[in-house]
Amino acid sequence: MLKMRLLSFLSLILILGAASCERTAEENDNFNRSKMLENYANNLIKPNFTDLQNSVTTLKTSISNFTQTPNETNLVSLQNEWLAAYKAWQYCNAFNFGPAGALGLTRALSEEIATFPVSETKIATAIAAPNFNDFNRDSRGFLAIEYLIFDGTNSEIVNLFNDTKRKEYLNALINHIETKVNNVVNSWNGTYYNDFVKNNGTDVGSSVSQMYNEFVRSFETIKNVKIELPFGKRPGQTQTEPHLVEAFYSGKSTEILAEHLKAIENIYFGKNKQGVQNGLSFKDYVNSVEGGKSLVSDTEAQWILVKEKFNAISRDNTLAYLIDNDAETIENFRLELQKHTRYFKSDMSSVLGIAITYSSGDGD
Amino acid sequence: MIKKFTTYLTQPIGATPLINFRLIFGVLLVFSTLRFMYLGWIEDHYTQPVFHFKYWGFEFVEPVGVTAMYIIHIVMVIAAIGIIVLHGWAYRIAALTLFILFTYTELIDLTYYLNHYYFVSLMCLILCILPAQHSLINGNTQSQTPRWSILIIQIQIAFLYVYAGLAKINYTWLIEAMPLKIWLPANDQLPIIGPIFTLSFTPHLFAWIGMIYDCLIVFLLLYAPTRKIAYLSVVIFHVITGMLFQIGVFPLVMIGITTIYFSQNWHDKFLSIVQKIFFIPIVAPKNNLWTLKKQKVFLWILLPYVLFQLFFPWRFVLYKGDLFWHEQGYRFGWRVMLMEKAGTAFFYVKDGVTGREGVVDNREFLNSHQEKQMAFQPDMILQFAHFLGEHYAQKGVQKPEVRAEVYVTLNAQKSKLFVNPKVDLMKEKDTFAPKNWIIQYDEDGRVVE
Repeated sequence: MLKMRLLSFLSLILILGAASCERTAEENDNFNRSKMLENYANNLIKPNFTDLQNSVTTLKTSISNFTQTPNETNLVSLQNEWLAAYKAWQYCNAFNFGPAGALGLTRALSEEIATFPVSETKIATAIAAPNFNDFNRDSRGFLAIEYLIFDGTNSEIVNLFNDTKRKEYLNALINHIETKVNNVVNSWNGTYYNDFVKNNGTDVGSSVSQMYNEFVRSFETIKNVKIELPFGKRPGQTQTEPHLVEAFYSGKSTEILAEHLKAIENIYFGKNKQGVQNGLSFKDYVNSVEGGKSLVSDTEAQWILVKEKFNAISRDNTLAYLIDNDAETIENFRLELQKHTRYFKSDMSSVLGIAITYSSGDGD
Repeated sequence: MIKKFTTYLTQPIGATPLINFRLIFGVLLVFSTLRFMYLGWIEDHYTQPVFHFKYWGFEFVEPVGVTAMYIIHIVMVIAAIGIIVLHGWAYRIAALTLFILFTYTELIDLTYYLNHYYFVSLMCLILCILPAQHSLINGNTQSQTPRWSILIIQIQIAFLYVYAGLAKINYTWLIEAMPLKIWLPANDQLPIIGPIFTLSFTPHLFAWIGMIYDCLIVFLLLYAPTRKIAYLSVVIFHVITGMLFQIGVFPLVMIGITTIYFSQNWHDKFLSIVQKIFFIPIVAPKNNLWTLKKQKVFLWILLPYVLFQLFFPWRFVLYKGDLFWHEQGYRFGWRVMLMEKAGTAFFYVKDGVTGREGVVDNREFLNSHQEKQMAFQPDMILQFAHFLGEHYAQKGVQKPEVRAEVYVTLNAQKSKLFVNPKVDLMKEKDTFAPKNWIIQYDEDGRVVE
């Protein structure tokens, strides 16, 4: 009797609920996260890592040419190949998860191959006794190579490379990068792709959550590390520290930063390196949820300002120079990045309901 | 009247509900403590972070080293077994140990505050003062205990549910079905029930069911004719929320301890079965209940406790503005899963002498959980600001001034400025007085002065 009454009560609620709210089809129609993950894996992550792998191979050839015949011609071509490879890395640095993520004693790919600033003294020590199993990440990776092939005039550099140990270390550095990148590419071409696409929830450890968190981290790195630190904006810094810019020795910081920004933009819009969208994106996902449309328009309006202020930075001088000589332009760019942070960071995770940490929430 | 009430409270009744409660609660604590260690949360929560957010009034609580933390957790496991099998003074030592250690671990960092951890702490406190002549080992269906020792547990659980239900009676939850509209569609990949969450009325339905369930469940459990179906709904409700949300062991805890509302008869049978399974011999009943005088002392201790539980959750009415926005008086009030809130916080530290100002990289000091929680809770923002001021003072920043620029989004609304970015937070203190540096908005989104 009572069960019946309760059942009829429940069904009444159900009917009332169903009647009072018509389905708002396009609002709540389930967004296909698997399709989104497929787009990211097939059109961004895998091709970007493959590009990186190819440029690392080319870079390796240049290094071997240069170390066999150290002359200025070979050096210049090596320098160009380095820049191409490091730019290719910018399109991968937001994908530090899965095979590229930190796990146990394995460090994230970015820690292994793209840390800066490098330590000149540690590199000097490492040349004497190379060791890639310690935690001296500031003596290896792309930026250690950069130091070796860009610090000084070209003739000075060529002269220094008469030293066999220096040659060996340069070769060891590229081999180290190659191993790490190959591992990641192999995993993505192997079983990890399916794991990634199948893990289509929004909880912590889900592909969406991992990719999103790394996307935000990569974006924040631009402001926090690539701009503010050399710019002397950290509390306790009493002056600018231009030597802390990314790619200090080559002076290519701004050019590289442009690629990083482009990479972030591509991730948001779900576009491949050529700027073409072939599947669902974070933007589409945000658009599909409650409160998403206004967030998308705010995000895009702000992103235009970020790019505008970035483009105002002169390409005729190095970032290290401009930090001391055109502070206003740099600060304008920094400020727009800061204004943008909340859209990518808290607003987006909040409307999407993406979990950020493993710990339990307040349940009832 | 009072005499009649005292007689009612102190009346001896069967002790099996209490014995079983200790058994179930103890087992749950053993499980959740082992799980906590297994998941590596001792390191993540207590020993790795550079900075810990303190509880107001408990600023002196500090974590100990990682080995000591593990020892504490193992002692908690032993103490939890203790409250199941021990009686008399040995039991009381176990209960006290459990209460102190559990509360200690909770007080280490405010980041991890959960209503349910608070609830477990309170339960441990209650267990410390309950009469406990009988345990799983020496108790049986003839064992007796004064009525109040079971009633207090029922009352505490009732506070949790009813207040959680009352908190859901608001426009946003019931009419807008927020934040369920955000949370439920994110679960559309769940097997079988997943597609339900893409229907537009599902959040509305869940909002109303959740509110009605929380408000009424205790009464339906107490009333014998509805008990069975009520408990079935307890199981279903908590299993579903457990699947939908990342809430750890709490669904299990609630499913376990709501058996306290079951009949004497059921508890007698349950205890007999458990004792049979574990070959525990039936001991002759030894009922030497506490004297009335002794009981009265404990009842007088419990009176302010119950009054505190009754009134403390309402302190928020003393603050003007939207509770969900300013969160003054939000904690310790059984407000669970009520809002989707997130923020992004920038801190500026200025050298009061040179005037040079810098921006903090929060990740230098906080793990992602700490940063997330801090960015929308005013007292945590204030604490972090003070930490930064002191930290950078040691690094050579003179007379540091700390300002915060914080943007908070509540229930998928556009994010808005949360605290006054001009205020030097080093000059502000965390008290019960209203925090005037929180920016409040009216319904049209205009700033309220």
